[in-house]
Amino acid sequence: MRTIRAIAGSMIRELLRKKDFYVLFIFILVLLGLLSSQTFFDLEGVSRYVKDLGYSLLMLFSFIIAVTFTAKQLPSEIEARTIYPLLAKPVSRHMFILGKYFGGLVVSVITFTLFFAVYAAFYLAGGEEGSPMLLVQGYIFGVFFLCLVVALVLFFSNFLTLSANVTLSFILYMIINGFSDSFRDLALFSKGAASVLYGAIYYLLPHFDFFDLRVRLTHAWDPLATWVIAAVAVYTFVYCSILLYFAGILFGRKRL
Amino acid sequence: MEEIISIKNLYYTYISGKDRVDALRGVDLGITKGEIFGFLGPNGAGKTTTIKLLLGILLPQKGELAIFGRSPSLPAARQSVGYMPETADYYRYLTPVELLNMYGNIFGIEKSLLGGRISELLELVDIKNAAGRLMGTFSKGMMQKVSFAQALINDPDLLILDEPTSGLDPVSRKRMREVIRHLREKGKTVFFSSHELSEVELVSDRIGILDRGNLLAIGPVKDLLGGRGEGESLETFFLKIIEERA
Repeated sequence: MRTIRAIAGSMIRELLRKKDFYVLFIFILVLLGLLSSQTFFDLEGVSRYVKDLGYSLLMLFSFIIAVTFTAKQLPSEIEARTIYPLLAKPVSRHMFILGKYFGGLVVSVITFTLFFAVYAAFYLAGGEEGSPMLLVQGYIFGVFFLCLVVALVLFFSNFLTLSANVTLSFILYMIINGFSDSFRDLALFSKGAASVLYGAIYYLLPHFDFFDLRVRLTHAWDPLATWVIAAVAVYTFVYCSILLYFAGILFGRKRL
Repeated sequence: MEEIISIKNLYYTYISGKDRVDALRGVDLGITKGEIFGFLGPNGAGKTTTIKLLLGILLPQKGELAIFGRSPSLPAARQSVGYMPETADYYRYLTPVELLNMYGNIFGIEKSLLGGRISELLELVDIKNAAGRLMGTFSKGMMQKVSFAQALINDPDLLILDEPTSGLDPVSRKRMREVIRHLREKGKTVFFSSHELSEVELVSDRIGILDRGNLLAIGPVKDLLGGRGEGESLETFFLKIIEERA
């Protein structure tokens, strides 16, 4: 545990000492500020539009930070050769991966929390009904989402270059958010091998869409039932555990 | 005498597509407690591969390898090992104190002791005045000093140094030699590779000469040179043995 804490701690320092985070944070702050100012015109539906767009931006920026920050961890350790003195210490390869995972996750959650606080302030000040409980659920789902994103990117790091990793992660994000349901429909309405193939794709893909509470938050629907949150938590835990297990195996076989 | 490093018939081959490079071809080596062992060889001899195997970074393909009687791939076997890599480049967004703190925590050094240990090491490598500076601003020599300090953070029983004096000024080299000798007095074992033959000659109890994966000579410097005639320098001996093989 102390090893994971030590590795993760150095990653948090890296975030706080680099400009990327501050630039993105100020950018989203300005963007949400500008968007919220549109509500002053009292146009019907504008507040919902702001909530909708604000949530999408919040998730996208959190995703960008999580992906770019995590994806460069393994390549930069290897390129800068900082990995050698670290692995020469009593650190197993699995421990190293877990340290990088929790470091990436904590960094991503810190940024997400700050972004979410800005979003929540605009959400609650938006004038329309909005349940604070739903906001809390939105935050929890955002954290689950980042758990999955960081695990996935770290897994990809073992066999993809930095740019390929970032590109593939973005493509997956777009596909899953845009076409996840299409794979399910294709599996349901096609026959034979095609149905099996589409079904396999649907179930194997990391379902970022499970964590998307955009519509529910925008239209101020009722909060989710507890069992739904529990089911999504289990899904996240199982998926992340599998990814991290294989990330550790692949990293263990990597010739450094 | 307790054997700290034991290498028996060790082989390692790098395979990349159709290319095969035999980095180690049946190396046998034993290093006992309290010994300072200099590991020599031209570029590509297999020195760094041997060191990576000793640290569990690479796994042996054939042969046996043990440190403190255990496989180096076990993290616990590396608890008493200090390692200074050939190219020292540490996290540029950390200060030396933060780096040493991070490594100290990995070794499980108690907080109450760690602060004092870090301060002592920074003084030893003469970098205390830059203790709070980000390492991104450091010169190669300063990084090398930090590298030496981090290798000593756990007060290791076995210190593995890969080209430790490269990039260091003469004063720092002298200080490093003194530290290595002091470690021997404390019963520590030092295994170091170097191109600086004079450095090796000055501090080593025994040396080993590796070329293209084969250990060509091993023994105390005096014995090796004695067998080749009086007055021969280590450099002459080294060149002769490498050229004879070529």
